[in-house]
Amino acid sequence: MSFFGFDPTLPRDRGHNPSAPGFTQAADPFAGLSRQEDDDDALDFEDTYDGLGDQLDETDDALNDDTFGGGHAGGGPKSVGKDFDFFGQTAKVADAIVEEQARFTRQQPVSRVTPTTSHFSQPLSKPARTGYERYKEPEYVPEMQVDPTLWGVAPKRAAPAPAPESPATPGLAPGGRKMMSLEEVEAAMRAQAQKPAPAQPAVQQQAPQPQYTQPPPQQYQTYPQQSQQHSIPVSGPPRDEARATPPVQPTHILQRAQAPPTQPAAPSQPTQILQNPNRYSAEQRPAPAVQHPGHHHGHHSRPSGSRHIITHPQQLAGLSEEERAAFLMEDAKRAKRNHKIFLLSKDNGLMTPQDKNFITRIQLQQLVTATGNPNEHGTDSGLSEDFYYQVHNQIRGGPRQHPGQPLSNFAQTYLFQTGGRHGGMRRQARGGDNHMQRMEQQVQRAVEAAKNKPKNKQLVIEGSLGKISFSNAKTPKPLLNIKRTESGTDAQRPGSAARDRRAHAAGVSGSDRKTVLTDIENVYNTLLLMEDHDRRIPSPLTDDLNPELVGLHMDWRAKAQKLNQQLWQQLKVHEPIGATAVHPFIAFLSFSKGKRAIPRVFRHISPEQQTTILTMIVLHLDQLDVVRQALLMPGDLQLAAGIRENVELFSLNVMPSLFGLLNEAGLDIVTGVLGLILTKNVDLIARTRIGVSMLTMVLSRAELIKQNGSVNDQEWDQWVNTYNSFFDALEPTLPNIFPGTVNTGEDVYVWQFLAAIGIGASPEQQQRLVMAVKDRVMETVALAKTLPPAMSSQRLANVNLFMRSIGLDVELLA
Amino acid sequence: MADVDDGASAPVSEPLDLVRLCLDEIVFVKLRGDRELKGRLHAYDSHCNLVLGDVEETIYVVEEDEDEEETVRTIHKKSEMLFVRGDSVVLISPQAPS
Repeated sequence: MSFFGFDPTLPRDRGHNPSAPGFTQAADPFAGLSRQEDDDDALDFEDTYDGLGDQLDETDDALNDDTFGGGHAGGGPKSVGKDFDFFGQTAKVADAIVEEQARFTRQQPVSRVTPTTSHFSQPLSKPARTGYERYKEPEYVPEMQVDPTLWGVAPKRAAPAPAPESPATPGLAPGGRKMMSLEEVEAAMRAQAQKPAPAQPAVQQQAPQPQYTQPPPQQYQTYPQQSQQHSIPVSGPPRDEARATPPVQPTHILQRAQAPPTQPAAPSQPTQILQNPNRYSAEQRPAPAVQHPGHHHGHHSRPSGSRHIITHPQQLAGLSEEERAAFLMEDAKRAKRNHKIFLLSKDNGLMTPQDKNFITRIQLQQLVTATGNPNEHGTDSGLSEDFYYQVHNQIRGGPRQHPGQPLSNFAQTYLFQTGGRHGGMRRQARGGDNHMQRMEQQVQRAVEAAKNKPKNKQLVIEGSLGKISFSNAKTPKPLLNIKRTESGTDAQRPGSAARDRRAHAAGVSGSDRKTVLTDIENVYNTLLLMEDHDRRIPSPLTDDLNPELVGLHMDWRAKAQKLNQQLWQQLKVHEPIGATAVHPFIAFLSFSKGKRAIPRVFRHISPEQQTTILTMIVLHLDQLDVVRQALLMPGDLQLAAGIRENVELFSLNVMPSLFGLLNEAGLDIVTGVLGLILTKNVDLIARTRIGVSMLTMVLSRAELIKQNGSVNDQEWDQWVNTYNSFFDALEPTLPNIFPGTVNTGEDVYVWQFLAAIGIGASPEQQQRLVMAVKDRVMETVALAKTLPPAMSSQRLANVNLFMRSIGLDVELLA
Repeated sequence: MADVDDGASAPVSEPLDLVRLCLDEIVFVKLRGDRELKGRLHAYDSHCNLVLGDVEETIYVVEEDEDEEETVRTIHKKSEMLFVRGDSVVLISPQAPS
C-alpha cells in the first residue's frame, strides 16, 4: 500500500487485504459486517484526529498579535503587517479537516445503500454500508487517499449483508448469525434440502456455463471450519479474523453439503486452485442472491453470482445423513490437503483479484492489439495500458476527457467493464465480484473480434503524410512513420503533387510558372550531382586488369547512367507535344537559368539526346520566347532590354551547343532540320536574330558538307529540294529581314545569313536574292561613305560577306 | 508534370525551397525599417541572407510637418549588387516580370 506513498499505518489498511481472497482462508462475505464495530473504531475520530487541537493554547492570547496585527492586544493603531500566514496555519490542520469530512460522508444515512439491500424485509442489525455511498454523490471528488475498495477489500463488509436475513433461513434471529449453534445450522440445512425448488431456477440459469462447474470454491469454503482442528500456521490478521467469525451462515453449510460428491474428482483440484485462487473470493459475495429467485433479475447484468451452487443441483434433494457423515470424515483429509495447498500457495494472496483481473485484461488487450484493430488505437491504448493511470482514474472517478467522444470498440469491450471510464458502470463493477466471468466473456469477444478483423498493422489515411502504425507487445508503436518514397517528392508534398496532377489533367501543366521553376531546380540539382559524380570517376583502367577497379568503373557508369536518365526525365523533353499550351521544355528554355543550364546539360548527355533536344528546339522555334518576342515591330528601333538580354543569353548559351552538335551532324540531319523549319512560320523565324542564326547554321553546315565532298547524290538531291522549298518560303520575307534601319548597324548576322543562302543558291535564286535585298545593300554602301573610315569599312565588310557569296563585291558598286 | 520522378532532389520540401525557385528571378523583398527591395536574387542561405543584383531600394520615411500632419516620403536608391542580412528580411516575394 505504501507503494503509492500513502501512510501504511492507516487502520483500514492493516496488512494486505484482511478479509479477501487469501488462498487458504474462507473469505467470509459477512466478516466485513461482523467487523464493522472494529472498523468503525478504525475510523473513530480519536484515530483520525491528529491531536493538533490539543496543542492549541486557548488560554493565552499571546499569538493574537501575530494573527491580528496587534489590534487587540496593543489596543492602539499599530501598523498592520503584510505577512499574514492564514493559509499556513490552516494547512497544518488540513489533514484533520479532510479526514473529518471523509468520516462525515461515510456516516450518511442508509438511504444510499444499494436497493439490493433494502429489499429485505427483516430489519438490519446495522445500517449496511456498501462503501460506494460517496461515489453516488454526483459531485464527489474523493481525497487522494487510498481507497480500500479499490483493492477489493471493503466491499466485503457490505455487499453480502442481505443474506443472513433471507427468508430461506428460518429460525435465524436478525443479526444473530454468530449465535447459531450446530443444531441450528443443521436445521437450516434440512430446511434447505426440503425445499430445493427456489434454487432450481438459478441452477438452470447458470447451467450453460460449464466452465464454472469446477468444485474448487467449495473446497475453500469448507476449509475454515476444519482449520480449527489442525494446527495450521496462521498467517496474520486476515486468518485470525476468518476464524473469529465462524462462517456458520446457511449458505456456507449448504455449499458444504453439496461438496462431498465432488471429492472423487478432486485430485486435480490443487492445481486448479492455484490457477484460480481469486475466483473464489469473486464468487463469494453474490452467493446469497441465489436463495431469492425472485431477486435474480436484479443481478442480471452480472449473472455469475451463484455459480458454485449450480455445481451439483441434484444434491440439493439427494443428500442423506450418512452422506453428510461421510463428508465430515472426508473433511479432515481435505483439510490436510488444503494445508499442503496453503504451503504451496503462501504468496497467493499478494495480488488482489482486481490486480490479477487488471493484468489479465492488459494481456487480453495486447492480444487484441496484436491482431490489430485500427479503430481502437488512436485514443485509448496508451492510457488503458497504463496501470497507474487506471488506478488514478478509478480514484478520481473522473469522466473521460471528452465526454462526447464515443468509446471505441476496445473501450467498450474492456474499459467499460473495468469501470475506469464510466461512472455508472464503475460503481456496480467496483466490487469486482464477477469479473472472472466477465473476463471469460471478454476472451470470447476478443477472439471473435480478432477473427473478424483484418490483419493490417498500419493504417494509411488517404491524403495523410504518413501511416499510423499499431503497436503490440513485440513491436512497440512508432509514433509516426513517414513514408518516404524514392523520389521523396510525392510523399513530402502531397498537396502540390496533387495540384500538379490536377493541372496536368486540365492541360495547363508546364505553363505554370512555378512548375517550370521547380523543373529547373530539379535539373540543376541533378546537374550538380552529375558534375560531382564526374569528379569521382575512378582512376583510369590500365592494362593489367584490376577486378576491383573494373568494379568501381562499372559502379560509376551505372550511377552515371542513372543520373543521366534522371536528368533526361527532368528536362521533360519527351513530354507529349501539343499536350500543353507550351511544351515544358520550351517553357524551361524561356527562363534565363534554363538557358544557362543547356551547355551544362549538353556535357552530360549522349549525342542522341542532344539531337533530340535540337529537334525539339527547332520544332518549337517559332514558340521560343527569344523568337516569339524578338520580332521588331515596325517603327521600333530596338527590342526591349529584357528581350535583348534573353536573346543574347540564348545566343551565348544555347546556340553554341546546338552549333557544336550540328557541326558533327550529317547531311541527313541538316536536311531534316531545315525541313522542320519549313513547317513552321518561316517569316517570323527569319525576322528574328535567333531564327536567322539557326538558319545560317543549318545552311552553312550543308555547304561545308558539300565542300567536303562526302555526300551521296540522293542525300544531296534531298537537300536541294528542301533548300528550294525553303527559298521559296523565305523570298517574301527577304525585304523585311533586316532589323531596324540601316543606321542601327546591328545587321551583321543578316548579312551572314544572306551569304549562307547565296552560296547554296542557284544562279536564278541568286538573282532573286539580289533583287530582294538590293535596296539595303545600296543604303548601307551609301551610309558607309558618310561614316568614319573604321566603321565604314566594317559596314562594307558586312555587305561584302553577302556579295562575295554570290560572286560579287561591294567594290563593284562603289 | 505530375510524374516527377526525380531521385535525390525534392525541390519543395521546406519553405526556403520556394525561395530557391526564385533564384535568378526578380524578387520583391520587404525589410524591417520600412524598406523594400526589388532585384534579381542571386543567392540566399538559411538565415535569409540574400544577395541581390540590380536592386532598387525604396525607403519610406514618415515626416511630421509643423501642422503635425504626417506625410510619407519615399527615397529610392539603386545598387548594382546588394548583400542583405537575413535578420532584417520580413518577406520575399517572387515578382513576375512585368
